Amino acid sequence: MEDVKVDKTVDARGSFCPGPLMELIKAVKAQPVGAVIEVLSSDKGSANDIPVWAKKVGHELIYSDQVGDHWKIAIRKTK
Amino acid sequence: MENQHAQKMSVILISPDLEKLHAGALVGSVAAAAGMEVNLFVTMGALQSFLKTAVANKNFTRGSIGQTMLDKEVPLFYNLLQDGKDIGELSVYACAMAMDLMEWEKGDLLEIVDDVIGITAFLNMSQNSQVIVM
Repeated sequence: MEDVKVDKTVDARGSFCPGPLMELIKAVKAQPVGAVIEVLSSDKGSANDIPVWAKKVGHELIYSDQVGDHWKIAIRKTK
Repeated sequence: MENQHAQKMSVILISPDLEKLHAGALVGSVAAAAGMEVNLFVTMGALQSFLKTAVANKNFTRGSIGQTMLDKEVPLFYNLLQDGKDIGELSVYACAMAMDLMEWEKGDLLEIVDDVIGITAFLNMSQNSQVIVM
């Protein structure tokens, strides 16, 4: 995950499901195609939900890693 | 929607219970975020929780989870629905029958309510959709 340049990071730690997903989607809308958007989440449900959402709407999942007490999830906007 | 498989979801909210409203709004808003067209029909007791006065006074029936949501100041059902509108295609309709019965006006309801419609109109828009009742 060190190789990827993150264009935008959204810190949604402390937000409950589906807050991190919703904040990620708002950030994705504001970024151009090709941008990598990362979300920080302390919500376990979102760590499962965000990759599923990305797959469903067709964005590329770059990584989904637990780092200490939270998760770092990044996607590349593909359309 | 680019997704050819985009589907429709209908959520019927009946209960004034904060937990059921939240669960319905959660499913609807996330479905909208995933590209589905979502229509919510708010009727019976649920409609009273969509009154501006109910929201201002946090006047919702609730169990222990609902109370904790209020204590922790979690974004509530109307915040989730607003997110769904901002992100995707989500509409909220108030039941005309309950509105008439209670002599409420559209202005008494939260701004997220798009319109007051009857069940025939809702049946028409919910045709071939997944239906969730809370």
